[in-house]
Amino acid sequence: MIQDFITIIQDYWLLLLIGQYPNGPLGGLANTLILSALAIAFAFPVSILMALARLSKWWFLRWPMTALVYVTRGVPLLMLILWCYFVIPLWTGADVPSFLIMLVTLVIYQGAFLSEVVRAGIVSLGQGQMDAARALGHGYMGAMRFVILPQALYNMIPSMISTFVSTIKDTTLGYVINVPDLTFAASQVNNQLLTQPFQVFLILAVVYYILCWSLTYVANSVERRIARRRAGPRNARLPAEAAPLKTITEQL
Amino acid sequence: MSTSVSEPQAAQAIRIADVCKNYGDYQVLKNINAEVARGEVVVICGPSGSGKSTLIRTVNRLEEINSGGISFEGQDIHAPMRASELNKLRSRIGFVFQSFNLFPHLSVVENVSMSPIRVKGVPPAAAHDKALKLLDRVGLADKANSYPGQLSGGQQQRVAIARALAMEPPVMLFDEPTSALDPEMVGEVLSVMKSLAAEGMTMLCVTHEMGFARDVADRIWFIDAGEILETAPPEDFFKNPRHPRAQRFLADLRH
Repeated sequence: MIQDFITIIQDYWLLLLIGQYPNGPLGGLANTLILSALAIAFAFPVSILMALARLSKWWFLRWPMTALVYVTRGVPLLMLILWCYFVIPLWTGADVPSFLIMLVTLVIYQGAFLSEVVRAGIVSLGQGQMDAARALGHGYMGAMRFVILPQALYNMIPSMISTFVSTIKDTTLGYVINVPDLTFAASQVNNQLLTQPFQVFLILAVVYYILCWSLTYVANSVERRIARRRAGPRNARLPAEAAPLKTITEQL
Repeated sequence: MSTSVSEPQAAQAIRIADVCKNYGDYQVLKNINAEVARGEVVVICGPSGSGKSTLIRTVNRLEEINSGGISFEGQDIHAPMRASELNKLRSRIGFVFQSFNLFPHLSVVENVSMSPIRVKGVPPAAAHDKALKLLDRVGLADKANSYPGQLSGGQQQRVAIARALAMEPPVMLFDEPTSALDPEMVGEVLSVMKSLAAEGMTMLCVTHEMGFARDVADRIWFIDAGEILETAPPEDFFKNPRHPRAQRFLADLRH
C-alpha cells in the first residue's frame, strides 16, 4: 500500500508539481499556488472596496454593490464559474483563457464573501472611532485608512483566514473548465493508472491539507504577533487586553 | 490665540443662532441662541435627555442641524462646503468624548501625534516631540509607549485631552468628559481641565460636575427639553436660579 504512494509520487511528481510544462501550459501544484495567491491578493482589496461601497451614503454605489453581493452569495460557485466560462467569450468575442476566467470568478465570489466580513468588522467598531477621527479633522478616507480599517481588519483576521482557505479549496473547481491545476493533474494521473483512485486522490487531499494548514498557521502567528505588540510592555497594568482572538479557523 | 490672519476677527469664538434640530417628529433643539466669547469657559448643564450632548456635537458638526447656524470664529460651520473645508474647521475644534474614543491599535504617543502628522502634515519627529510634551502636561509622560487598553479610564481621558490639544485648537469642547469614570478618577481629569481654563483656553463643557462649574465656569447655560432656559454666571446660577426648572434641577442635585 505505502509502496503504491511512493511509486505514484516517483513516477508523477513532476506532472503533479508543474503539469505539462514546458511542453504544455503550466499546471499542477504550481498553478494552484499561483491561482490561489492571485485570487487572494485581488479578492482582499476588492472586498474592502466592496465593503466601503456597501456602507456608502451614495445610493449609486450602495445599491448595485449590495445587489452584486447578494446575488453572488446566493449562487453556487460552480454555477458562477460555468456562467462566466460560457458568457464572457460570448460577450467579448475573445478567447479568454480558462485560468483568467477562473481567477476573475474567484475574485468576485470570494470578494463578495470577504466584503461581508470586512463590513461586519467596520460596523462592529461602533460610531465612536469614526467620530473621534472626524473630530480631529480626518477626512473619510483618512479615517478609514488610519483608524477604522486597521482595527476592523485585525479583528476579522480569523474570518478572513477562513475565506482565504476556502479560496484555495475552491480553485479545485477550475477542473470543470479545464484549468490545469493540481486537481487536474491528479485526475490525469488517475486516468493513466486507472486502478488506484484511492491512492491518487489521497495524495491530492494531503497536499491541499498542508497548503490550507500552512496558511492558517502563518496567519495565526501574524495575529499573535500583533496581539503581543498591542499588549505592550510586560509590566503593563492591565495585560492581555488584546488577547489573541482564539480562532474559529481551527475548523476549516 | 492661533487664528489664521486673513479671517475677520469675530468677537465670539462660537456663536449659535436659532439652531433647531429634529429627530423625526421629536424636536431635540429648539431655537438655541448663545455665544461663547474668546477665552470664556462655559458649562452646559441640565437633566439627562435635555439635548446637551446633541448641542455640543452640532458645534463641530458631528450632528447636522435642521435650521439656524453656528459660526466658529466667524465661519458658519453648517454652511454647505466641501468636505476638505469642513475637515479643516473641525481640526481646529478640540473635542473630548464621554467614552474617550482613543484609537486602541495605536500607542498613547501615536494616538496624540497621528492626527498632526496625517491631517496637518507636521513632520513625524516634531509631532512626536510635541506629543511627549503634551503627555507630560497631562501627567502621563511615562505612559507614552503603552496602549490605551492598559490605561485606567482617567488616564485614557487625559490622553484624549492631549490628543485634542495636539491639533492646537483655539476652542475645546467637552462632552461629559467624566461621566464614564470611576469616582476616584474624576479629579485627575477635572484638574487637567482646570489648568486649561487657567491658561485661557476657550472651553464649552457639558458636565454634571457642579463643583467644576462653580469654580471654573465663567457662565452656565441651563438647558432643558432642548431649550436654553437660563444663562448666568455660576454664582448667580447656583444661588439664585431664576427659572423654575433650574430651581428644581438644583434642588434635585442637593438630595
